[in-house]
This record gives sequence, C-alpha cells and structure tokens, in this order.
Amino acid sequence: METAKHGTAPGLAGGLRSFLGGRWVVIFLVLEIVYFSFTSKGFADFNSVQILLFYGTQVFLLAVAELFVIITGGIDLSVGYILGFASIVSIKIVNALVVAGLPVPAAIALGAVATLIVGLVPGLVNGWLVAWLKVPPFIATFSMLGVCHGVSELVINGVYALGMPQMAADIGNGYILYKAPHLPFVFFTPPQVARRTPVLELIPNIVIVAAIVIAIFAFVLARTRFGRHIYALGGSMDAAVRAGIPTKRRILQVYALSSFLASLAGVTYSFMYVSGKADAGASLLLDAIAAVMIGGASMFGGSGTVGRTMIGALILAVLDLGLRMAGVPTFNKYILVGVILVLAVIVERYLPEAQLSISEERK
Amino acid sequence: MIGSSGAKAPPLASPLVRAIARNWSAAFLLLMLVVFSLATPNFLSITNAQNVVHLQTIGFLLAAAETFVIITGGIDLSIGFVMGLCSVSAAKLMQLLMARGLPDATTVVLASVVVLLLSLLPGLVNGIVITRFKVPPFIATLGMWGIANGIALKLCDGFPVAGLPDLLPRVGNGYLLYVLPGNFLSFFDKPPDFPDARIRELWRLIPFSLPFIVAVLGFLAFRLSRTAFGRHTYAIGGSMDASIRAGIDVDRHLVKVYVLSSFLAGIAGVFNVFQTGIGNYTTFNASYEFFAVAAVVIGGASLTGGKGRVFGSAVGVLVLAFLENGLAISGVQPFYRYIAVGVLLVFAVVVDKLFPDLL
Repeated sequence: METAKHGTAPGLAGGLRSFLGGRWVVIFLVLEIVYFSFTSKGFADFNSVQILLFYGTQVFLLAVAELFVIITGGIDLSVGYILGFASIVSIKIVNALVVAGLPVPAAIALGAVATLIVGLVPGLVNGWLVAWLKVPPFIATFSMLGVCHGVSELVINGVYALGMPQMAADIGNGYILYKAPHLPFVFFTPPQVARRTPVLELIPNIVIVAAIVIAIFAFVLARTRFGRHIYALGGSMDAAVRAGIPTKRRILQVYALSSFLASLAGVTYSFMYVSGKADAGASLLLDAIAAVMIGGASMFGGSGTVGRTMIGALILAVLDLGLRMAGVPTFNKYILVGVILVLAVIVERYLPEAQLSISEERK
Repeated sequence: MIGSSGAKAPPLASPLVRAIARNWSAAFLLLMLVVFSLATPNFLSITNAQNVVHLQTIGFLLAAAETFVIITGGIDLSIGFVMGLCSVSAAKLMQLLMARGLPDATTVVLASVVVLLLSLLPGLVNGIVITRFKVPPFIATLGMWGIANGIALKLCDGFPVAGLPDLLPRVGNGYLLYVLPGNFLSFFDKPPDFPDARIRELWRLIPFSLPFIVAVLGFLAFRLSRTAFGRHTYAIGGSMDASIRAGIDVDRHLVKVYVLSSFLAGIAGVFNVFQTGIGNYTTFNASYEFFAVAAVVIGGASLTGGKGRVFGSAVGVLVLAFLENGLAISGVQPFYRYIAVGVLLVFAVVVDKLFPDLL
C-alpha cells in the first residue's frame, strides 16, 4: 500500500501504473463508448449523445452537488428528495403565478427563481445542523430527506403535481437550434414544417443551462478562494481552523450550494416531465454518489474535481443508454453500477497519482 | 469511550437526568403511547399493539443487523436490498421445488435453509471488500445495494413472485392462541369448523413472530453484551488501533459482523415471504436501510462507533412504528411520519452530544 502510493515503482509495471493513474476513468469511458457502438444498434450517433446528455441532466447536477459535500468529508443523502420537493414547488408556484394573472413567460421565470430560493432552505438547515450542532452529515441529511419527503407529500396530498403552461414544456423539451431542410437555422422555436419532415435539432435547452451552471461551479471549485477553503477543510479540519478559514460558514455554504443544485435539477425535472413528485430523485442518489466516487474523490474528503466527476457521471449515463439501446433490461444497470463503484474505489487505491490527497483512516 | 470518563471531571448532571438521557427513547415511547391512548379511542388495544409489533418483525431484524455494524463504526446500506433479494430468491426457489412435485412443507423448509445460507454471501463480499481492499463501508455496501437490487429484479423480472404454498402466510401470520371468549381455546390454528366469516370475533393472541423475534433479539443482545464477540465489536468501534494492539483480529471480526448483518437481512427476507405469501423485491423508496439506521441512532447508538444496544435499537424501531401507527389511527396524514423521523434523529444526536460518556 505505502509503496504503491509514494514510491514510483521502476520498470514497465510501475510506468504503466503511473500512466493509468488519473487516466483510467477516461480510458474506461472510451472503451465503454467503443463497446456500445458495436453492440447497441444506433448508439454511435449524434442524436444519442444529445439524448444521453438530456436524460442525464439531473444526475450531472446532483453529482456536482454531492461532490462539493464529499470534498468537505461529508455526505448529502437529501439531494434526491430535495429534487422531488423542488419539482413540486416549481409546478405549484408557476401555476399559482399564472392564476394570479402574470403573463406566462414572467410566471415561468419568476417561478423558477422562487423555487431555487426556496430550495436553499433545506441546505441551510443541513449546514446549520452539521456545522453548529455537530450532527453527523449522514444523520442531518437523512433527517432532511425525511422532512423533504414528508413536506412534499403534504403539499401534493400524496399524488402527482401536474400541469404547467405549455411554454414550460416547450422550454424543458426544446432545443436551442433547429434546422429544417431548405430553411435557415432558427433559435428556440421549432420551424413550422409538414409533419415527418426531418428537422435537425441541436442542443437541448436544459443541457445548456446545466452545462453553464456546472462550468461556473467547476470554476468556483478550482480557481477561487472558496474552492481552496473547501479542499483545505476536507483535507484537515484542524489545519483549516488554524489557518483562519471560517469553517462553519464554509460548511453551511457547501450544503446550501448542494441544495441549490438539487433544486435546479428539480426545476429541470418539472420542465421536462411537466409533473412533480416526491420521490422523483430517489433513485438518483446512488448514481450521484457513484459518479463522484468513480471520478476519484475520497469519501474522507479533501479530493475530487468537477471534471472527473462529470466523467464518472458520463460513464454511468453511457452505461444506462447503451444497455437500454441494446435492449438489455435496466436491472443489469444496477448490478454494473454497484460493481463499477466498488472497483473504482479499489483501483483508485492501487494506482499512484490518482489521489489528490491521501487519508488512510484504517491501518 | 470507556476509558475517557475516568479522566474527565465528574459529570454535572444528576443521576436521574443521566438515566433519562440514556433511556430517552424508551421514555419518549411511553409518553407517545400514553398520548395516543388518550387522544384516540382505538389505539389502546391488544390487537393494535400485536399488529404493530408483528408488522415490525423485519424492522427489528434489520435494526439489529445495523446495530452490530454501527457499533464497529461502519454502516451497512445493503440490508434493505439484500432482504428483497432473499425474499425473491426464496420465492423463486419454492416455485422451482413445487414444480418438481415436492410436498409444500419440504419445499418451504428446503428453500428457506438454502436462502439463509446464500444470505451469508453479500455480507462476506462486503466484509472482504471493506477489510482486504480498504473500501469505506459506505461505498462497499452502497455497491452491494445496487448489486443486490439488480439481481433481485433480474430474478423476478420486476414483478412480485406469487403462486407459493398456502402454508406460508398461515405460518407467518399465525397465532399461538385462538380464543372465543366463554366458548373455546385453541392452540396454533382456529378450530377447523369455525367459519371464516366470524374470524373477527376470535381473540387471536401472540403471533408466532413475537416469540421468534424475542428469541432472536435476546440471543443477539446476549452475544453483544456478554461474550467476547460483543466485547470485540465494541472495542473495534471504540478504537481500531487499540483493538489491533490488544491482539484482536480486526479484519476477521469485521467480516463476521458484516456476514451477521447480511444473514439477519436474509432472515428478514425469508420472513417476508412467510408474512406476505409472495416474494417481494425491495422498492427504491422503501428506504429500509435508512429506517434501520434511524432506529439504531434513536436507540442510543453513535455513528462514530463504540456505542449501541440491541434492545435500544428495538425501542427505536417501536418508536418509529407506533409513531406511524398512532398518527394513522388519529387520522393525521401519514406524511408527518417522515418529518417526525427527521426531527427525532436530530434530537437523538443532540442528546448523544450532550451526554457523550453515556454507554
């Protein structure tokens, strides 16, 4: 163990190991794509890339949320149910605003913003519990999972939240660019052409929204003082306190940020499916945590990057779509995700230079 | 944990306060029972109490499993889906054996035994991955979460497995005593000539699951508090380093603990087939593992390890169960239950922080 981490073992094996360290996730992703290109009909196609990104949006956002929390050495179990909560709140607020007489575009914009603000609340409570009351993150965020679940069901009385203005669905399922044959490129609005005319659709709206937000947070994590503080307090809480970092405030901010991203995922969900339900994101928690872990972060905190987390999320998304298109039942996906998750952590341990920081809890 | 109390100043709180703090969940349970009994006329009855306890058999088993793992400072997220996997595979196996023309009783016994043996496997894998490959328990068991769920769904194609021997629910939901007041008393089954339509007039007392779960929990509590196995479990959770220096084979012991956990989940899965008469896979929002962790923490354990009791966790299960049942009977929307669990959990941790040296 020790030599594998520090020593650069000489010879071919050592060279191979240090080459693979940090790159194996990318290599795995490429191999996966090549494999499915051969086995799944229609997989190697530009459209399937769009589909993959479109249906992966929520997992991408939740994975980034989880990454920030995991870098601090915590865990956020509530993101899935915050997503569900936000999807309901978004629908309720937008509808209420439309009923109140606001024009539809204003109602949608205002509703989305209001949802994101409401969505900060669970995170603020989580952060307060973890930072000030010293409640273990697992318990604090699991409590929040319960509270979000309960409040969501109370709001919708145990059924679905349904109905949004058509415009919301158009945004949620629309594309940025359209190109019909013999017509110029148009932005946002599908061209009025006869049915069955092949229209080229480019870049789903929500994918762009998610990509911009994720890029911003990648920058925040990698290039700002806030990001450095988070790595520092995840690496060593004691050292961070002595270095004068306001650790409690940073932890509060990280959980609020996580909750914000989960709410954004909830808003995109409500626009995509024009419905909201309490357990909309329940099954995404495994994917989100797995993406972060496959991306090489450590459960003990202090390491992980947005880029590598996105590769982790892409590995899962490709797996999902590839299996679907090959007609393999989705059950197999759960097994593979579980296996890849554990293997990723093991591989990460035995490959040098892959870990950004080392924290060996057990001897 | 054990050694630290001696070095500190004597605790400020009086013995009474400390006794309440140590058993606050039991006190809360009593208080809740009294309040619900006064608030709703239908709550306080033997039938209701029996039903709640009977329906929580799985909860007790899973919480006991989680207790051992949490005392070592680990966590087992896979138990809910291991339970589903065992339920489905027991049912599938019974279907196979029935198709071979085996008698019902043989089928049921054989399938149960085989599945209980198989249920050791997920825990063995968890334990080896955690100790040999140093994967954090959270990740290792989360991986098993996915694997067990996937295999269960594969086995049953996403549908419950039905068409099993009728014997199952009769045993799983049977009672020791059947009494028609002033008329007769019958053991194990209602008298054959008694019409089904009048079954509600019967007093059905002591479900089979009750002596069963008391025996299992009693055995586990004994193992935990009175044997070397239990002392080692606490020692590992208290300090891994000290345990290694004290000569405990920590890796071996941890593997045993994860195997025990998955075996108990296996018992829960087989019991599930007996109770419902079909094989059920675990759904995503069932959150069995989380409710088990919640019960264990409410029962006084600490996620950092070294603390926890089997019967404490059982009280935690009862708190959650009677909360749900009481709310339902008093006509409150059941969704408040989720919120209440969250609040109780945070309260449990705050009590744990205020009285850190309680064991």
